Amino acid sequence: MNADPTDTRSPHLELGDLIAGAAGQPIGDRAREHLASCEHCRLEANRWNLVADGVRGLAAAAPEIAQPARPRRTGQRVLAGPWRRAMLAAGSAAAAFVLLVGVGAVTGLVHVHLSGPGTETTLTAVTGCAQLEQADGTLEQVNGSSLVIKTASSQLVTVTTTATTFVSMSGALLGDITDGRSVMVRGPRSDGTIQAAIVAIGQPFSAVNPPGFVPVQGTVSDAGTSGFTLVTSGGTRIPVTTSSDTLVVIPHASPGQFQAGATIFALGHAGPDGTLSARAVAAVSQLRSGGHISVSVKDCSPSSIDEALGAISATPVSGG
Amino acid sequence: MNDPHRDVGAPAFTASHDPACDDAGLLRRIGQGDEDAMAAFYREHGRVVFAQVLLVAGERVLAEEIVQDTMLAVWRGAGSFRGESSVRSWVIAIARRQTRDRLRGQRLRLVDGAFLADQPGSGPGPEVMALDRAELAAVRGAIRELAPAHREVLGLAFGSGLSLPEVAGVLEIPVGTVKSRLTAARIALNRILDEKGQNR
Repeated sequence: MNADPTDTRSPHLELGDLIAGAAGQPIGDRAREHLASCEHCRLEANRWNLVADGVRGLAAAAPEIAQPARPRRTGQRVLAGPWRRAMLAAGSAAAAFVLLVGVGAVTGLVHVHLSGPGTETTLTAVTGCAQLEQADGTLEQVNGSSLVIKTASSQLVTVTTTATTFVSMSGALLGDITDGRSVMVRGPRSDGTIQAAIVAIGQPFSAVNPPGFVPVQGTVSDAGTSGFTLVTSGGTRIPVTTSSDTLVVIPHASPGQFQAGATIFALGHAGPDGTLSARAVAAVSQLRSGGHISVSVKDCSPSSIDEALGAISATPVSGG
Repeated sequence: MNDPHRDVGAPAFTASHDPACDDAGLLRRIGQGDEDAMAAFYREHGRVVFAQVLLVAGERVLAEEIVQDTMLAVWRGAGSFRGESSVRSWVIAIARRQTRDRLRGQRLRLVDGAFLADQPGSGPGPEVMALDRAELAAVRGAIRELAPAHREVLGLAFGSGLSLPEVAGVLEIPVGTVKSRLTAARIALNRILDEKGQNR
């Protein structure tokens, strides 16, 4: 970075920092701090991240290398014995992978080991879309657009997001209900007051739709510790009470809003080094960490993926 | 869907590990004819090498053959590894040479030096803006349409886990030229996206 005030070069991050960051290489604290305050560089970082995600997506989509039963080229030299056996061993591993996927279709849970024993990263298959993989665990660290989560088996997984990643969060986030916010409230009504079971801030998604409660949309006014007034588009003012059991869902969040310790569910494509390039991420604070939820999607469409994680976001508070 | 123009902050980073010692040990064992080590080496590097080769060669059968030749070269030449680079960059360099030889046989030029000569990085222009609006799927499709050398440098930089100096070592060019080539690749990517109108 060119931070020296006497330096007449560009005040922005050097290309090498941007590329290194997008490539998953560590960058310095000063570069990180600069990114936090420089929109120009963040945009540049986003562009490189998108390119890098494109490359990683292609790499992740590359088919497994199956050992050919025989050399493909006529007249090709015969494979050396040890190498052929090595390839057969690899082929066996590929076969084992296929078998596990077959099991996963039944159980909804498949463990795919992406790297060697010392660096094992555990991702799980997603029922309904073979192209997707899931990572879930406790949020350890947020670094701009990427997250580090610790899985139930104490493995660290880096989840990268881009501008197109669907990012949601939920929990007892009553502090996010502030005056002027557009919300959708669901909950039982008593004497004209809604006891909020779920408050979705911003544009809601269909998954936030527990049965039995008619949603009411409006704008927050008089927000306080025990509730707020919901002002509908027609000007009607409806008292809303909240409690520690009220689930607040923010369907369109950013990783920077996530709270340490939140349970993270991420769906995306595995990168070559055990990272997960996320298509959708949900930070769920209302669920105890350690529990695994297998994600199912109807198909591989973006809306199905978003809905699947939205459904997790809307999972009720589990009592702590 | 989130606001596509939302800033997403700092670039990604990876919870890294240093497998260098394990890799070097594997190569030593391979050099001694250890078949299990060769299988382990394949499991550790095969997929990344294949993805990189496939990105450049663009054709699966050809890529498989190149990886096969690469691993044969590893089996035969493991003893020649001198530890001057990471094992990952060493094997990718072997794969690159194999790819170059095969593509040369098809009268394709992997690297067009004149075309890829240090093109200066420009400030954000209309083409760069196309990337701001592009969907990831469109970007992936556009990458496939890049010139082989552009696909190659992008794959090395972002798909192989190599550092910029390691990429430079594999390509046998200075780090500055790697940066220029990456910038040129991104400009070309933007042009493709812009021409296809695959941006929002």
